[in-house]
Amino acid sequence: MAEVRGARVAATTLALAAAAAVIGLPVLRLAATAMEHGPTALVGALGGPLAARAVANSLWTAAAIAALAVAAGTAAALVTERVAGGGRRWLRAGMLVPLLIPPFVLALGWTRAFGPRGYLDQAVGVELPGLYGPLGIVLVVAVAAAPVAYLIVAAALASRVEPDLERAARMSGAGRLTVLRTVTLPLLRPALLGATVVAFIFGLNAFGVPAVLGAPAAFGTITTRLYQDLAFSASDAAFERATALATSLVVVAVVVVGAADALLGGRRAARTGLPAGGGGGQAGRLGVAILAVAIVVVTALPALALLATAVTRAVGLPPVPANWTLDNFGEALDVRTVGAIGRSLLLSSAAATIVLGLAALVLAGVRRGPGRLAGTAVTLGFAVPGSALAIAVLLAWGGVLRDTLAIILVAYVAKFWALGHRQLAGSVDALPADLVRAARASGARPLVVLRTITLPILRPSILAAWFLVVISGLHELTMSSLLYGPGTSTLAVAVINVQQLGDPTVTASLAVLLTALVALPALPLLWLGRARAIGSAGAAG
Amino acid sequence: MSLQPFAAPPRRAPVALTVALTASVVLVLGACAPGASPSASGQPSASAAPPSTAASGSPSATADGASGSASPSAEASEAPTGSIILYTSVPQTTVDPVLVAFGEAHPDVTVELFRAPTGELSARIAADLRDQGRAGGDILWLTDPLSVQAYAEDGMLRSWSPRNAADLDPAYVNDTFWGTRVLNMLIVRGTDVEPTPTSWEDLTDPAFAESVAIPNPAFAGSAFGALGYFAQTSEYGLDFYRRLKDNGAIQLNAPDEVTTGVAEGRFKVGMTLDFSARSAAEKGSPVELVWPEPGAIAMYGPIGVVEATENAGASEAFVEFVLSQDGQEAIAGSGWEPVREGAGGPEPGGEQVRPDWAEAFGRQEELLEEYATIFGG
Repeated sequence: MAEVRGARVAATTLALAAAAAVIGLPVLRLAATAMEHGPTALVGALGGPLAARAVANSLWTAAAIAALAVAAGTAAALVTERVAGGGRRWLRAGMLVPLLIPPFVLALGWTRAFGPRGYLDQAVGVELPGLYGPLGIVLVVAVAAAPVAYLIVAAALASRVEPDLERAARMSGAGRLTVLRTVTLPLLRPALLGATVVAFIFGLNAFGVPAVLGAPAAFGTITTRLYQDLAFSASDAAFERATALATSLVVVAVVVVGAADALLGGRRAARTGLPAGGGGGQAGRLGVAILAVAIVVVTALPALALLATAVTRAVGLPPVPANWTLDNFGEALDVRTVGAIGRSLLLSSAAATIVLGLAALVLAGVRRGPGRLAGTAVTLGFAVPGSALAIAVLLAWGGVLRDTLAIILVAYVAKFWALGHRQLAGSVDALPADLVRAARASGARPLVVLRTITLPILRPSILAAWFLVVISGLHELTMSSLLYGPGTSTLAVAVINVQQLGDPTVTASLAVLLTALVALPALPLLWLGRARAIGSAGAAG
Repeated sequence: MSLQPFAAPPRRAPVALTVALTASVVLVLGACAPGASPSASGQPSASAAPPSTAASGSPSATADGASGSASPSAEASEAPTGSIILYTSVPQTTVDPVLVAFGEAHPDVTVELFRAPTGELSARIAADLRDQGRAGGDILWLTDPLSVQAYAEDGMLRSWSPRNAADLDPAYVNDTFWGTRVLNMLIVRGTDVEPTPTSWEDLTDPAFAESVAIPNPAFAGSAFGALGYFAQTSEYGLDFYRRLKDNGAIQLNAPDEVTTGVAEGRFKVGMTLDFSARSAAEKGSPVELVWPEPGAIAMYGPIGVVEATENAGASEAFVEFVLSQDGQEAIAGSGWEPVREGAGGPEPGGEQVRPDWAEAFGRQEELLEEYATIFGG
């Protein structure tokens, strides 16, 4: 056992060292820059009425986004894991589609579909009131965050919650709602808390959506204020204000994530019995129908609106066949885009692989004390807005890594470590500890247990986490556009070049191409991956 | 080269997925290739260096006295060589033809490009300064005169005289930076909008109640230029923005969003840049430019050489090329009004008025704060 203990300590030490290098050092450099001229600048930056309002706006929208995304993700998970029969695969894939669409593109799709003079407005005179403003920001970011919450809750439902307990409760005469309230939800509590943390940080961090939807309502958040300060960062005061705002986001994240991690503690539960599902009844069918309609409305319609925009000759023309063209796709691409796509794929997959390795180190390491610290620390990178994190990484690592792909990789790992970690942590929690103990008791060495028991069970989660990071890397706009150098431009640089030309028909075309680029290989893989996840979870149980 | 550290293939599953992703890239790109070729939107690739339509001058054009960038008067041995880094926020479609034309005039100079929107570029420079004590680029080619003044004031820019700057409008000439193209803030209207606005003041008319869009000066430098002009002109002042707000005007972020909003019919009229409105109209969007009384608010995109450059020769040659007849023709060919007469491109459709940039620069924080009390942040 001492040998295992030693390995755990070594893993945690390594993970902490990596976290210090890619997250700790940059964040400290950022905070030091914010304090360059003493704490007065920091107070001045955060004390003004605009900044105070931005902080308040960020906090309440992030809370609303978290509540909405977790509620929607949980409801959807209950439908796909406990109710739906034949359509289960389609619903699962449908729930994950928003992952494939960059959030700012989703916002563009919503405005074209449901906004004033959007397609719905043109067709039947109906628009979504308040789309431009806090309501729209909360709705669209919640749609973007819901798949992440769904993944965490569905994984817990599939493997952590004990279906036998639910069945026992049903047989003893408890109604469906009573079972949900007294058995299922209490068992889901750790997953719900984890999903809430991720969705909250997701909302805190959102930039593209509030930038598009907030301006007409003069609704600023920390990230949009920060961007405006950066735009004027030729002035030292504005640059320091931007770094101060970024530091404030880190503080909020430490408080929220630290508290949640403390609450989560180290509880474990092993599942008994076969996975539930396939059950139905009228309420179940209603749930399936509602979920299907919701997916169509929040995802498919905006995506169609985007497609219609992409094939229309010019903005403001009706999307009738006479105005259709493919020219926008040509304008969206140039020769450099191809090389940039290659580099983006390389960077994203390298980052995903490294992130998984690091996440494994944290999870394999000691559970308490420093192990908990490492788990919380990796979330900080996710909390810092991309623009500020890029500056932080440039300040910390620019000396050695300037203008190389490696500096972008550092930023990606810092940013997406949390995504991979939280995704994997849920499944590792649900590992049947008895199986491992049984194998060890039968004389299997730790590596053999890892190869024959742990990895096969975790494979679907590892695949999902890997994909999540790759997709996030491909969609990442701000960081690489700040960090790239000659010969290391990424997809983001091409996207921003096109976006800055300001023609929504061309931006929509590029968005369609980007989505297709990720969706074509991802959908079948996710579909198969989830099917296998259930299979192997069943086998394990 | 910097790919080396990553040459090692990722682990097993990643390889298969990378292959799948790459395959789909090829599919996607292949699928849209037919759409790509006929559009020919004037986006040459800098590396392929085709004789683009924008760079209408033949190689012999460098002998043109006005261009002067090849410095025929200087000793031939002084021809610039080496590599320089260009930091710019100028749109890709404008940078590309200029780089192609420069490459023809100065084949011995390699220009490495870092292009990003103003916000990201300023942030990168701010980080550069803290990290290595100087801007990473040798040349700064920016979009609005505000940030360049901050850099000039900090002594970051080199003081010198381009040989071909003498015959430019003095409004575009400074000690350390020069105008390269003209941006006109004007009015865009929907083609079926009645009545047609004729002056800035008309935007406060009840006929356009709840249907005016303006860009956010805290977001776009060009919108700040407009704010500066109105604040400095006694008959408007910031009161103009108060009256716009009272008339129900809506603030968007970038001028392009204003053009889009008017094209979609969300707004009847708006304040935007001539390039944005002209591009939309040329593609067929139902919008028109209005050159308002007393004039479009004209500002210029500046260029300057970084004091700390280690290749002043090539950097200065680039700036002189951008100001030259050939450089100006390339800029005009990409749709912007040039600073040099006779270079072609769009012509002003009426009077032009200019903000006092030096004064606006000094009042940056104050103006933005007062604006925010009106339109919020």
